[in-house]
Amino acid sequence: MVSTSAEAVYGLFNLFLTLGTIVGIVVGTYLLYNLFRYRTREDKPVEGEVSLGELPPRQGFPAKLMISLFLSSVVVLSLIIGTFSTLEYLESPPRDAFEIRVTAFQWGWEFAYPNGLVVLGEGRIPANRPVKFIVTSRDVFHKFGILELGIGIDAIPGKINYYWTEVRVPNIYEIRCFELCGTGHGVMLGKLVVMEPSEFDRWYGSQGGGAK
Amino acid sequence: MTTNHKDVGILYLVTAIYFLIVGGMLALLFRFQLTDPTLNFLNAQKFNQAVTMHGLIMVLFVISPLGFALANYVVPLQIGARDLAFPRLNALSYWLYLFGGILSIISFFQDSTIDAGWTLYAPLTTSQFSPYVGVNTGGLGLALLIASVTASTFNFVVTIFRSRAQGLTINKLPMFTFSILLTVLMMLYAFPSLLAGVVILVSDRLLGTVYFTSPEGGALLWDHIFWFFGHPEVYIVLFPGIGAIAEVIQASTKRHIYGRTAVMIAMVIVAVLSFLVWGHHMFNTGISQDVRRVFTITTIAISIPFDAIILSFIYSLVKARIQISTPFLFALGSIMVFIVGGITGVFLGSNALDYILRGTYFVVAHFHYTMVGGGLLGLLAGIYYWYPKMTGRRFDERLGRAHFVVSMIGYNLLYFPLFIAWETPRRVPIYQTDLLFWHQLATMGGLIFGLSFLIMFWNLLWSLRNGPPAGNNPWGAFTLEWATESPPPPHNFPGIPTFADGKLSFISTNGAAHHHHETHLSPYPFAVSLGSFLALAGLTVHPLLLPVGLVILAISVVGWGRERFVSHEDSIGERWPFEKVDRVKLGWWTFIASEIALFGILISSYLYVRSASSSWPAPGTMLDVWHGAVNTFVLLTSSLTVVLALASARADKRGLTTGFLGGTIALGLLFLFNKYNEWSELLHHGVTFGSSLPASTFFLTTGVHGAHVTAGLLALAYLVSRSIKGFYGKENWEAIEYFGYYWHFVDIVWVFLFPLFYLI
Ligand code: HEM
Ligand SMILES: [Cu+2]
Ligand SMILES: [Cu+2]
Repeated sequence: MVSTSAEAVYGLFNLFLTLGTIVGIVVGTYLLYNLFRYRTREDKPVEGEVSLGELPPRQGFPAKLMISLFLSSVVVLSLIIGTFSTLEYLESPPRDAFEIRVTAFQWGWEFAYPNGLVVLGEGRIPANRPVKFIVTSRDVFHKFGILELGIGIDAIPGKINYYWTEVRVPNIYEIRCFELCGTGHGVMLGKLVVMEPSEFDRWYGSQGGGAK
Repeated sequence: MTTNHKDVGILYLVTAIYFLIVGGMLALLFRFQLTDPTLNFLNAQKFNQAVTMHGLIMVLFVISPLGFALANYVVPLQIGARDLAFPRLNALSYWLYLFGGILSIISFFQDSTIDAGWTLYAPLTTSQFSPYVGVNTGGLGLALLIASVTASTFNFVVTIFRSRAQGLTINKLPMFTFSILLTVLMMLYAFPSLLAGVVILVSDRLLGTVYFTSPEGGALLWDHIFWFFGHPEVYIVLFPGIGAIAEVIQASTKRHIYGRTAVMIAMVIVAVLSFLVWGHHMFNTGISQDVRRVFTITTIAISIPFDAIILSFIYSLVKARIQISTPFLFALGSIMVFIVGGITGVFLGSNALDYILRGTYFVVAHFHYTMVGGGLLGLLAGIYYWYPKMTGRRFDERLGRAHFVVSMIGYNLLYFPLFIAWETPRRVPIYQTDLLFWHQLATMGGLIFGLSFLIMFWNLLWSLRNGPPAGNNPWGAFTLEWATESPPPPHNFPGIPTFADGKLSFISTNGAAHHHHETHLSPYPFAVSLGSFLALAGLTVHPLLLPVGLVILAISVVGWGRERFVSHEDSIGERWPFEKVDRVKLGWWTFIASEIALFGILISSYLYVRSASSSWPAPGTMLDVWHGAVNTFVLLTSSLTVVLALASARADKRGLTTGFLGGTIALGLLFLFNKYNEWSELLHHGVTFGSSLPASTFFLTTGVHGAHVTAGLLALAYLVSRSIKGFYGKENWEAIEYFGYYWHFVDIVWVFLFPLFYLI
């Protein structure tokens, strides 16, 4: 996986997908099985059929249902536990993370660095080093998203949100907006350039503070 | 014009299908754009409008009204009533719905209709970012729809609680009626939240208040208000379909569904929990982690009662004699796809996964699998199922099955590829080119799914004349609606149905008792709706319409009040737990419950923005405490005069009654006069609607309260005009009592507003 956050999120996704597919197939097959097993053209009533105007009688305890519900609770509980541990990890950025401020606006992305450097449209970060994104918006709601890296967090005016990751593979990743923000929403693209740490340091050092 | 529940049901059905076609066309428009991102078939703005109105129309003007078309027709029949509790109110609901839809469609032909998504996220919807008149028009269309829904809510609550046949206790209610009961109870508390949101939004847009434009206070306010409505709303559109599916399964297996009581309990749990999960739409917004954990648990937990419902449906098939028919196929298809929707909902309920899934086509695919799959397909099953009852004819079974096959192919071809192409951001005309194939497949599926409806329309229309006669009970079902003719006669049953001795029988009503004729016609519901429509259109379409609308509205409201409209409650029936509460009173109580919810949301919004703001004026600095204190005193006194008016009427002292009612008017006017002075002083000192959040919240909240006082005074004027003629006395005082509930409620709201705004 190309980043820590992608690893965490997509690992969890695969757990959900596996359990979800199994449950779906079991239930769906059981439904179809019963359908084909018990369908009939027969007109002769069988025992226990209800006639017009009969009110529901007191029914027995639905044991079969309760057992099924117990089983689904187990599945569900494991999903909740999986979610919580992933969440814990996703939301505990290391203290020494490199901080970069991302501001969304109609329609683009602005990146501000600790040394005062501000760039538009294309952010650069070092690989193999934890990076913390501090995300906000200047106008309406946006969502800062890089699916490949398992990154997604709302950019909201008047609010500051966080997300962190450590990217393993230097490359250029595509940033998209995932919250409808007006006519430019579809083209609100940006780039996150992940560089070799040494290369990044050279670049960052050469960009003096306050350059705007 | 008709007020009979069966006719109104058919009107709803036809209108909802019309809007289905409109919404479907919009979908085909933007699906066509999505076949090729380089295409400039719809530019971004048109694309956004199409997507937004598609969503609003489908959720609010199609699926829910389709459910209510069936509910209108079927619920009174299932519980053995002759009509809904308030037939004219029911007709009013229909016309308001129609005119609300027309107003929304008109907004298309103005500069631009709403284009910020059906979720209407502020601040994108504020006038700064959406400066179009059409957005206001669309918002007002929604307001009419909300009024319609609210009226339906009381009507169904009262009908289901007060008009059941003897022996039909709540736990024995037919599944469809039970699902409608839960639907309207959810509506009762969800729609006031939407109303509050729309009121605040329209006020921001038209009056310049700053709720949503002050990031400091209002950043997440809209999200909370909208989703507090929005999540229950998705179950509101789902439940009627679930109810229809249950009926169809029962009729096709000739048995009550498996675990009936467990299913009912599960549905109640879902309905209650639906108000406790809204935060799962806000996982990415940076609300606190503890809150998000709670919402993760409640959201994933809600899948357990859903399991109970779906599994019980499946267990109902075991060892049954299943007769396959078109409605049954749709019911089953609906369950199959709903399973996919439910499972993917659990993915989204996981906060960690939602970081990447929110805002992608995964969500789009999920909610279409639930809403269209569970909701719409379930309702299609219901339409096929009750069609013979409504028309007295059978439809062509082979065409029905053909519709099923084609629509299932189209449906899955349309929505399943959206899961595969889940990385596409929602609501964009331009997306990653490697996903092109899946989107083209989806568009093809959409076309097939859309065309499949033509088979149904043709079938249902053709069979109206040519279908074989259906007889009373073509499916061999066992609920009460099948015990009468198809279509049922105007009064539904040959006598009063009763289950008193455990089995259905009819109490004959040959005697006179039953034959004071009931009214089934009234022009006023239509006229009131037309007046409201024109008045609102006057605000944004053409100013001349405003006075015309107001005149029509005034005349028709008075006409409504004076019309002699006869509708009776049967003398016997099952009414637990409201045996002692007559239906008008119960109607008022329900109405006031929804008003409490409205003010609850407005007050919560105030507290929310206040607690999120870094500073707030100290008590006594912006507002003069004296004004508030005097008004508190005035209003409380007026509650007393209403009590005295009622006591006088019951003691048959007619002069005194008029006097106390008049006194109440005087006090109400004094309240408004004092308020007028207060407001003009504030405005004079530069404290305006838009000057700050403290000012905005004060003006809007007390303004909405003042509007309630004004409405109360208009009602009082009417009461006084009749009281002068000696109308109220020993045997005729209920109107004053009902008015009293409303007036006391308005006073109590003020008792909350006074300390909240003036003293803290
Ligand atoms: C097991 C049951 C369900 C669960 C756990 C669930 C969960 C969720 C979650 C967490 C979201 C938010 C996704 C996001 O925006 O990131 C969502 C969205 C949505 N769900 Fe469900 N859901 C369930 C059933 C349903 C049903 C029954 C319906 C409707 C009939 C429905 C309709 C919707 C809709 C319309 C949205 C999208 C709202 C929007 O436009 O943003 N869901 N669901
Ligand atoms: Cu954006
Ligand atoms: Cu939800």
